[in-house]
Amino acid sequence: MKCTKCGLRDATTEVLVQRNNHVEKMFLCDECASNFRPDIGLDSFDVLNKLINGSPMGLLNNFNNLFDAPTARALVCPDCKTTSQEFIKSGFVGCPRCYKVFEPLIVQTVKKLQQSDRHVGKTPYGAVDVATEEARLKSELQAAFDSGDYARISELSERLKQLVGNRREDK
Amino acid sequence: MASADSIIVSTRLRLARNIDGLPFPHKLAEMPAKQIVDKVERSLSPVDKFTRYDMHGLSELDGTVLQEKHLISPDLLESCPFGSALISADETVAVMVNEEDHIREQVILPGLSLDSAYERVNLIDDVLSRNMKFAFDNRFGYLTSCATNLGTGMRASVMVFLPALTMQNLIEGCINDVARLNMTVRGVYGEGSKAEGFLYQISNQRTLGVKETEILEAVDDAINHILDAENRARQLLKRDEPELKDRICRAWGILTNAYKLSTEEAMKYLALVRLGGYYDYIDIADGNEFQNIITTCQPANMQRLGGNQMSVDERDVMRARYIASSLTSLCKKTI
Repeated sequence: MKCTKCGLRDATTEVLVQRNNHVEKMFLCDECASNFRPDIGLDSFDVLNKLINGSPMGLLNNFNNLFDAPTARALVCPDCKTTSQEFIKSGFVGCPRCYKVFEPLIVQTVKKLQQSDRHVGKTPYGAVDVATEEARLKSELQAAFDSGDYARISELSERLKQLVGNRREDK
Repeated sequence: MASADSIIVSTRLRLARNIDGLPFPHKLAEMPAKQIVDKVERSLSPVDKFTRYDMHGLSELDGTVLQEKHLISPDLLESCPFGSALISADETVAVMVNEEDHIREQVILPGLSLDSAYERVNLIDDVLSRNMKFAFDNRFGYLTSCATNLGTGMRASVMVFLPALTMQNLIEGCINDVARLNMTVRGVYGEGSKAEGFLYQISNQRTLGVKETEILEAVDDAINHILDAENRARQLLKRDEPELKDRICRAWGILTNAYKLSTEEAMKYLALVRLGGYYDYIDIADGNEFQNIITTCQPANMQRLGGNQMSVDERDVMRARYIASSLTSLCKKTI
């Protein structure tokens, strides 16, 4: 199978790219896969890079049979240099940022391990509880509308937008 | 001895935490690793008096003594070059630093004490949380080096003594039942169903998507299931009472008369004597003291008690003397 990006070399890595509401499957060669940046994205999209190597935890698919050349190109965490292959092999990530870099891989693993991918427990000191903060801002926004305080409406709308934006990034 | 007291040994609550912005311990350089230990030590100082043990400066004997007391993990001792432990004077709080995660806060209490152990570990966690920024994500919760600890980072474990289930080969079924409740069972000394001393650790598997209180309730439910199963098995065991009495009395006889005892022998016979406490064949004045005898019998603790370097034979002789003397002052055979 040829690489769906360059069309020249044999594909070695399967990549799922999420564009708005649909997921597009791509098969990349070593070179195109190596230029693939999960943190900025091929096209700034949420991605799932399914590597050819299987997971020792038995939770990720093994794609060895799909390709002629079974060599996988790893995604790399820019902070600690952990690769997605290392994560798949050991089950360990190297730093907090790895959770963003390998998020799609981790979500798959975590859902099977934990039957959930959503924390509902304690939050650390100083951390913002997004749901509570969102409710509070919405309530203040309503009060600002009611009183016609346009400066306040603008400020609160911006804060709400940032909060919801952060939540979407978290997802 | 009440049935729950004769089954439940201790409770351990552990919270896994990491510092935001730093690589996890297996990727961490020496300097920031040491800075974490210093910071944790400073932060804990208002809470209690803690003794600091740096793994790189610790003798093998001192390290193994802590491990046999279950205050530190074998991993911290063997594979964490910048690892440290901060242990409270009464040994109920043990904070491991730079093990699998930067910080592992642990509280260990006797008996079934899930709520009070959580209360204490939560207090330690609050203190540390005010002094350092933990790695946290709104979706995944507390970020840990392994995804198996994500979310709450909490492991609630209860050590249980299950001789009747083990002796009648019913333990496998019980382990499977508990696994269905999303719990893990492992032998405390030895592995799986071959647990020496019939001691097992029951702990939660899930850490994400559940609240801390839900984990405590789930572990409590699993423990109640195990209590029922072990109590039923103990009634079954009593159907051949002469055989049971004979086994327990022989164990008592060996422990109070042997000239030397290996760790394995000691564990096996102490377990039978402890079971004798349940059937009132032996009067055990204090269950926690009895557990201390088991810990002291372990090789490194025995070596520490003896002071000088001892051969295995010398240690076995000392163990026999120690057990005979401790048992006769703590217990009384009533049949």
